[in-house]
Amino acid sequence: MSMNNIKKVSLAAAAAGVMSGVAGAARKKAVDELMAGIRDDSDKVRAEAWLGAGEVGAAAVKPLAKVMSNKDIEVARAAKRGLWKIVRHAGRPGAGNEKRAVVGKLVELLGDEQPVPVRREVLWMLSEIGNRRSIKLIAALLSNRDLREDARMALQRIPSKGAIAALRAGLKAAPEDFKLNIAQSLRQRGVKVRGLPCVKLVPTKKTNVKPL
Amino acid sequence: MKRTNQLNRREFLAAAGAAVSMPYLIPSGVLAAPGRIGANERITMAHIGVGGRGGGLLREIKRFREAGVVNIAAVCDVDENRLARAVKEAGAGVEPYHDYRYILQRKDIDAVVIGTPDHWHGVQMVHSAECGKHIYLEKPACCTIEEGKAMVAAAKKNRVSVQVGSQGRSQPEAYLAHRYLVNGNIGHISRVDCFHYPSPEDNNPVPDSDPPPELDWDMWLGPLRWRPYNRRYCPGSFRWFLESGGGQIRDRGAHVMSCAMWWMGADGTGPVSVEATGTAPTKGLYDSAVLMDVTYTFKNPDWVLTWRQMPKDQLPPAEQRRPDELNRKIRKISRPGYGAIYLGDKGEFIHWGGDGGTWAERKARQWEPPAGAKDVYESPGHMEDWFNGIKTGKKTIMNIEAAVGVANLCILGNLSYILGRKLEWNQARQEIVGDEQARRMMYRPQRHPYHL
Repeated sequence: MSMNNIKKVSLAAAAAGVMSGVAGAARKKAVDELMAGIRDDSDKVRAEAWLGAGEVGAAAVKPLAKVMSNKDIEVARAAKRGLWKIVRHAGRPGAGNEKRAVVGKLVELLGDEQPVPVRREVLWMLSEIGNRRSIKLIAALLSNRDLREDARMALQRIPSKGAIAALRAGLKAAPEDFKLNIAQSLRQRGVKVRGLPCVKLVPTKKTNVKPL
Repeated sequence: MKRTNQLNRREFLAAAGAAVSMPYLIPSGVLAAPGRIGANERITMAHIGVGGRGGGLLREIKRFREAGVVNIAAVCDVDENRLARAVKEAGAGVEPYHDYRYILQRKDIDAVVIGTPDHWHGVQMVHSAECGKHIYLEKPACCTIEEGKAMVAAAKKNRVSVQVGSQGRSQPEAYLAHRYLVNGNIGHISRVDCFHYPSPEDNNPVPDSDPPPELDWDMWLGPLRWRPYNRRYCPGSFRWFLESGGGQIRDRGAHVMSCAMWWMGADGTGPVSVEATGTAPTKGLYDSAVLMDVTYTFKNPDWVLTWRQMPKDQLPPAEQRRPDELNRKIRKISRPGYGAIYLGDKGEFIHWGGDGGTWAERKARQWEPPAGAKDVYESPGHMEDWFNGIKTGKKTIMNIEAAVGVANLCILGNLSYILGRKLEWNQARQEIVGDEQARRMMYRPQRHPYHL
């Protein structure tokens, strides 16, 4: 490569770096502003923040998830609603890259270090925009007693053969008290399940109220 | 009438004895033609959900019991206090249940009245149909598009009569309005603008807590995903959550838009696109839109339906009715905060309400049909229309297909609001087109074992 070409490449790389740095700085500013709004004392400011969260996108997923556990229930709620806005915005037609970026951040929130309510909410977000890459991580939660029912329902909603395969595998590994649940999901997805009857019409709960 | 499966005296006494001890009733179908309840026989009913509106339905059905039209065999609720009150209300011989599925197992029960929160409607209606029960279902019919499809299929397969509680269609003035419009008095109608006051906000949020001892929170949630109890969810306030009640657009939209679809002759049709905007609550647990604007575009024939939740000071004023106009059927407008304006090429028409109170503008009430004018079906009353459906197999005025069509409008409006974008709808295929996320939201997985 000639000196001129090396200079050109270096200049281009520097320019890209500057551009990337500028974009990164703009993203950080948007996230900081969003989070400041979410934590504000005023419900109107908080609402304005979460309503505008959609366009901030993937960069705000983890900061918002962190605030979902805030002890102020209204701040926590604003963070949750902001996260949902991002999911609904990223899921729009023609926004494949944004959606993948958001899904990538969401699946990172499924780990044990996150509180159960956050992971439960994330499972439902993934039920709307989750892709093949998220299936394995969701399926891993079929063995988590706190989250398995939500994980099952999230897989049920993701329209891919991979989700059905994950449910089938989950059924094999499931303890007896959860097999019927997974069988329900498989049936809903059109899979015949033998030996695990549907119990939806079987009554179980008695009343203490007496007739006159 | 020849009765092919009439009981002989011994069987009757045995059954009567069982009724005293168990206390089950003789199913009406036993005394009538196979699969049909005799014209003069009582229909044996059970009530599922007996608080709030469900309690109102129980009191309404009691009047039909007193008139010799029905028996009330059972009441059911997941709130033990409400259940105890309902037992007192219904009187001796009525069996209480916590779990509605015990009711569905009883062969002596012909029909159920479902007055539970909206998120239970689809599941309980489908289960009831699968057990061969005729159904009166409180509106809106369903919470998701896929629930609606399952409900229509279940009613058809099991050949049960379903009446959905959009009772505006059965009101005396609804008949007058319908007749006035179909006779071209305002010309060709190209637009119907529904109006409604805002959905409430939760201005006093409270933290999650343990449910009260009388409430089975698990079963109240039923098909919904699990979440901790919060006092703001119930009773009654389920209406202000997108997942359960869906806000005013689903609660009252199921009334006002029901009238619009009926009077426009649009049952069985649907829009090609739906576009909604709205104002979200700034705090609290409720999440349905406070203010809202939804536009439904219909093609072939072309017309536009809008739903608007607006500030109260922007609502059209109620018609002032003179005392001499009032009678048993024509009453004062007591709920002027919602209704619809019909825009034709020769004039406009307005009605208020659309539910148990439906009030037509004076010009429709005073219109005398000329010779040769078209007439329309005049319901004998919403319950009576359902009883006819049970006994004759005739389609009810708010049958499940029509009710699901109206509920779909409400659902699509909310989906467009939630997603912040316009949705395209394929009526023939009953599905959203070209939006993967919205398509997934046509369905909501349900908690085990409370599923379709």
